[in-house]
Amino acid sequence: MRILITEDEPRLLRSLAKALREEGYAVDTADTGDEGLFKAQNYPYDAIVLDIMLPGIDGWDILDRLRKEKQTPVLILSARDARPDRVRGLDLGADDYLIKPFDLPELLARLRALIRRAAGHAPPVIQLHGIAVDTRSRTVTLDGNPVTLTAREYSILEYLALHKGQVVTRTELYEHLLDDTDDTLSNLVDVHVFGIRKKLGHALITTRRGQGYCIE
Amino acid sequence: MVVMLAGFGVTVYQLQKVTRFSQIDGELETRISALAGAMRELYLEQGPPRGGPPPPDDFGFGGPPPPREKQPGRRPPPEMAAPQDFTLSAETRALFANYYYVVWYRDGSVLTRSAAAPKDLTRPELSERDTLPHFRTRGDFREAVHCSGLGDCVLAGRSVEGDLQATRNFGWALVMAGGAVLALGLGMGFWFTARAIRPIEKISSAASRISQGNLSERVAGADSGDELGNLAGVLNQTFSRLESAFERQRQFTADAAHELRTPLAVIISEAQTTLARERVSVEYRETVEACLETAQQMRRLTESLLELARFDAEEAHARGDVDVAEAARMSVERIRSLAEQRGIAIESSFEPAQAYVNADRIGQVITNLLTNAIYYNKADGKVWIGTKMVADRAVIIVNDTGVGIAALDIPHIFERFYRVDKARSRAEGRTGLGLAISKAIVEGEGGSIEVASVVGEGSTFTVRLRKPPAVS
Repeated sequence: MRILITEDEPRLLRSLAKALREEGYAVDTADTGDEGLFKAQNYPYDAIVLDIMLPGIDGWDILDRLRKEKQTPVLILSARDARPDRVRGLDLGADDYLIKPFDLPELLARLRALIRRAAGHAPPVIQLHGIAVDTRSRTVTLDGNPVTLTAREYSILEYLALHKGQVVTRTELYEHLLDDTDDTLSNLVDVHVFGIRKKLGHALITTRRGQGYCIE
Repeated sequence: MVVMLAGFGVTVYQLQKVTRFSQIDGELETRISALAGAMRELYLEQGPPRGGPPPPDDFGFGGPPPPREKQPGRRPPPEMAAPQDFTLSAETRALFANYYYVVWYRDGSVLTRSAAAPKDLTRPELSERDTLPHFRTRGDFREAVHCSGLGDCVLAGRSVEGDLQATRNFGWALVMAGGAVLALGLGMGFWFTARAIRPIEKISSAASRISQGNLSERVAGADSGDELGNLAGVLNQTFSRLESAFERQRQFTADAAHELRTPLAVIISEAQTTLARERVSVEYRETVEACLETAQQMRRLTESLLELARFDAEEAHARGDVDVAEAARMSVERIRSLAEQRGIAIESSFEPAQAYVNADRIGQVITNLLTNAIYYNKADGKVWIGTKMVADRAVIIVNDTGVGIAALDIPHIFERFYRVDKARSRAEGRTGLGLAISKAIVEGEGGSIEVASVVGEGSTFTVRLRKPPAVS
């Protein structure tokens, strides 16, 4: 899952990015409104964490312009706690509104919920032919037995599981699972898919030649 | 009002009555003079009585009665029989269409009387030398009596029942009119009073709504142009000022809360991220450092907020004659290490300039301005500070070779928490309160502060302060 954080306070940006990366997200950051809007418009994020008071274009503007072309889930993270602000944010098309200072576990839970819902999948545990993918703890069990996956392997499995029944191209996987700091060559999707199949069985993920991967 | 109306009514009633009666009396007088004329003719026929004064003069009509000689005692009536055939001419009788008459001869017998004359009429008591006509009201009749010195009397009368009735009717009409005027007056009075009171009630209810906390409420009718309109206008101005003061206070509190929330978010997020899993000691160290830095920033911010609140609250503090050149020199010394650290050169040109201010506070303003000039300068930039007297003001000028301030931002830079480049200044620990505090101090000291700036070339801040009062 790839997330954009737009935040002008550098320390907060750094610590948020670190926390989200450790949760297995691919994280892009923007510290000005213009950069945030550009990235939000041009990359397929699974969720955007948006501050309101930004240098350049402010958060309201970014949201307004983004909503004209994209459905990307947006969580506003702002110190502006007044009710008119919250109402305005949600009415402009934000999916959630969290007030600073916030609790990190709450922010993470809200982001997970946003991503699940955007994929059209409300339950936090995804069941696939005896395999359970728990998005809360990022753990996988096969017939009740825990299976250890690498962070990358889990991310690919989770993405495919959330888009069960759809063909997901390699490009899409790259775009959603790698952020702009990743070295693409060292993260070949095929290698990770091979690893998943070895641990969970070859039948789980099918390869569509020339198209991509799919969990039936 | 009732008394006035009653007084007016009674006066009009009396006047009307008097006018009516004097009119009747005038008519009666005409008629008795006609009767007297008839009597005179009788005398002329009979010849002058012996020993008596000439009869024509006896009925003193046609002018003031002639002065008469004093005659002691009552004259016995002359021995002359009453004429038996005394009649009035048709012409004279015609005068008495609605009137009656009685004529007595001097021996008390009735010479003639009209048919309409009441039966109970008696000859009036004769009083000596009284030969003027007399008027009297007898029941519903008004009569005029005129006697000659010899005792011949004529009486003309008429019923005044109709006139009295008319007068009474007039009186009733007056009462009715008075009542109507009273009712109308009271009604109009109520109406006008209600109209006059209504705006006051509106003002009072609007004021009470405002006092209950609805500060955006205004008194209606401020544009009516009368005295109450002016009052409403003045009240509205007061309410507007109150509202904007509250609004500024609210905005400031909201801004302060916002400014404190962000560093709090940093500390909480840093700590929670780090505690989420086991770390190596370097990572813990980084986290603690970040938290410390952020906490320091919060400390600076809260100190600035307290300072600002203090400036807002207190008025009087120790002022004295201060050489702002000396204060500026000390500020430059304080700031020199920061300037060197950032590679900024400070140049100065101090001329003595006396101001009547608080030395510490002005020192703080100068330090604030210098700090800004250093932070917003470009690499290897310069800061120039000068003091001098211009007219009767002590002037401090701080000029930098920095990035300058966009025209769009200039009106806002003295506002609390306004930062031209938010991300950068906050990262450097700037609170966004420095210029707001400087402005609060300078204005509190009775001076002014202004800025001129060219983007890309730099900014110039000018502070003007009052000079000390002349020593007498």
